[in-house]
Amino acid sequence: MTKTYEEINEKIKNGKAVVVTAEEVIEIVKDKGAKKAADEIDVVTTGTFGPMCSSGALLNTGHTKPRMNYKRAYLNRVPVYCGVAAVDLYIGVTAMPDDDPANKVFPGKFEYGGGHVIEDLVSGKDVVFEATSHGTQCYPRKEITATINIRDLPSATLLNPRNAYQNYNVAVNAHAKHPIYTYMGILRPNFGNANYCSAGQLSPLLNDPNYRTIGIGTKIFLGGGTGYVFYQGTQHNPEVPRNEKGIPMGGAGTLALVGDMKTMSRRYIRGVSMTGYGVSLAVGIGVPIPVLDEEMIASCAVSDADIMAPVWDYSEDYPNFQGKPIAHVSYAELGSGRINLQGREIETASISSMPMAREIAQTLKKWITDGNFLLTKPSAPIPGTGSGVKYHPFVERPVKGNK
Amino acid sequence: MTKKSAILHFGSDLVDKPIISGLIRNYDVSVNILQASITPEEDGTMFVQIEGEHAIVQKAFDYLRDHRVDMIFPAKNLIWDDKKCVDCGACVAHCLPRALTVDGSGKLQFNSERCIACELCIPACPYHALGSVSEHLS
Ligand code: SF4
Ligand code: SF4
Repeated sequence: MTKTYEEINEKIKNGKAVVVTAEEVIEIVKDKGAKKAADEIDVVTTGTFGPMCSSGALLNTGHTKPRMNYKRAYLNRVPVYCGVAAVDLYIGVTAMPDDDPANKVFPGKFEYGGGHVIEDLVSGKDVVFEATSHGTQCYPRKEITATINIRDLPSATLLNPRNAYQNYNVAVNAHAKHPIYTYMGILRPNFGNANYCSAGQLSPLLNDPNYRTIGIGTKIFLGGGTGYVFYQGTQHNPEVPRNEKGIPMGGAGTLALVGDMKTMSRRYIRGVSMTGYGVSLAVGIGVPIPVLDEEMIASCAVSDADIMAPVWDYSEDYPNFQGKPIAHVSYAELGSGRINLQGREIETASISSMPMAREIAQTLKKWITDGNFLLTKPSAPIPGTGSGVKYHPFVERPVKGNK
Repeated sequence: MTKKSAILHFGSDLVDKPIISGLIRNYDVSVNILQASITPEEDGTMFVQIEGEHAIVQKAFDYLRDHRVDMIFPAKNLIWDDKKCVDCGACVAHCLPRALTVDGSGKLQFNSERCIACELCIPACPYHALGSVSEHLS
């Protein structure tokens, strides 16, 4: 039996939709088979929560009196991009205060940055705004220092160019004789620990590996509120080699996401400080997958044992963009707390949170079951395998006339 | 009964001496070795918990001191803020005494009994959920 979006939405409106999470569906499909499960279940909810560096907030402050065209701006001393219209601002989550000591005393703490500003805004805290401008005839004001609060802003939009990576690397320190401090956390020498960052079987794009239902316009749970997929994310790379189940063997698809920050909550939007590396934002995302047919539920039944992640050395190979994965390990092994690598037992640590991913999938399930969240059909798909869209490294050409 | 944690450091000249077995033989204490390692320079480090009658535990530490074992007695100094914790588990691999663990559902558990306040976990937490009391007070 196949179902349409309209039929599923009709059931949701009538409070009759059967919704399960991407973890719950695994056992159901195992017990009943894909055919029966597809008849019974209407929606599968996914979830993920972890640092997502390609995120930021698009803020509009409203016009000042007299008017001003911001040219340099700060929120809680963190620099904000104002190369757009007069009172629009974009704050990236990895931005740091100009006077942050960074790694001058190694490893730096990176206590506060763009991600923390966004968390403060979402929490409803006051934030100090400072801006300067050269002044023009239409926008004469040259300076402002003021307290702002999200509730006073005409709009505050989370606008994330690349989130929800479909699978990701496992990071180890194979060669350095000392701990290394990376965006994947602290890696102790001699394969001291292996860090990973994916919700595995709960992760949105791993449950819809060929982007059949997740596309442009898909309505999602974003940071505790609602948001949408607005495009494929930057570095979207559907052509990464896949296993026999069609699951990419490394980071592949990505999503660009947008949503109203005023609907979000601090529980799912958290500033992150990676010691020795920098700041970021942990974002909570949940994507509903409509069970259109048997094939769709079969892909939602993917389990951690079927998803393989590449283990990369972050002491030499990753930074120099060389070499190849040391091995591939499954998320089932990673989740057990230990992996076996070349005969050694290595302790694993996750950077993303499985309990939070689970909570998000459960929350979205409740929203849908209660009839408060309808599904949207994508207005266009994001590119899949064979589309010709492919990520490639920087093509570095010398500047003419420069030696 | 007293339980006292310590980080013991054995110089390379001590590593191959039966100091811990001597301790167990001569004193009525139980010695719980939480973590032990030997560096390439052949120095040895051990996190131990020694438990027994108060006076005897004192004597056991005197014995170690007499054998030129360096000791650090960490204060119970760690704050785990469960309101900030997101249960990611990034700290777990850095906690050698296994005071930080994840339970079956992936939730972080902090067992302050096992914590020796080495503070190795603090920089590993991206969410500012772990901190020392002294940092907190300053
Ligand atoms: S300070 Fe942190 S790493 Fe050290 S024992 Fe306590 S919990 Fe574990
Ligand atoms: S690293 Fe921090 S947030 Fe993550 S589990 Fe440990 S204490 Fe909690």
